[in-house]
Amino acid sequence: MKPDKEKMTIILFSGDMDRSIAAFTLATTAASAGTEVSIFFTFWGLNLLKKSLFTLGKSQSILQKIFNIFSNSNLPVSRMNMCGLGPIMMKYLMKKSRTASLNDLMSLAKQLKVKYIACTTSCSILGLSKENLLDSIDEFAGAATYLNEARESKINLFI
Amino acid sequence: MKIDQTIDIEKEHRSMKIDQTIDCIGVFCPMPIIKTKLALDVMKSGEVLEILADDAGFEKDLPAWCSSSGEKFIEIKKEGSTIKGYVMKK
Repeated sequence: MKPDKEKMTIILFSGDMDRSIAAFTLATTAASAGTEVSIFFTFWGLNLLKKSLFTLGKSQSILQKIFNIFSNSNLPVSRMNMCGLGPIMMKYLMKKSRTASLNDLMSLAKQLKVKYIACTTSCSILGLSKENLLDSIDEFAGAATYLNEARESKINLFI
Repeated sequence: MKIDQTIDIEKEHRSMKIDQTIDCIGVFCPMPIIKTKLALDVMKSGEVLEILADDAGFEKDLPAWCSSSGEKFIEIKKEGSTIKGYVMKK
């Protein structure tokens, strides 16, 4: 028996599919061992939380729209992306070898009560609002909230 | 004396009552561990779970996960490429 619940935080910055799989593999495994896990989604990491492909809104400026069109919820891979061919091949290989997909891992993470924190600064840069993003987000917050969590955690990762 | 103890432990394992078995053959990290966790969630304290897996990492991962989750690790048996793990719910 552990005296206190252990904690772990992950900053998901990259928004790459392969990196996100690594992040969620660690998050779900830690959560399954009773660790309280928080993931702080910032910059490209927010692409994982977008409800639709492009998340365009009327209040967004042209520049924000351009960013949301070219950086959308269809995640790239960090190597050999080959204009979007890489993720398709990677997904195929993963399905063939029966590895859990990012979607599987994300729904498991919620089942295991992994906390999602969305960075409000990145949201406002990209013109994203709560309506554009998944309902599974637990908090909208900033650096101070993350640092408070990180201070209490033994494992803190930036991915 | 030592030999007797070994025999006792072996007897204990041979007669170990398995309450539930899950099949994780063909799935990879982290799924065998997650499935173990989800299966243990609905079991009672003291019951034994058997996990069948073929992800090579599972052999090291199961005892490691048990030490962080507090579940009682019993043993790993290897039969060819199949790894059998045994865990008692805390």
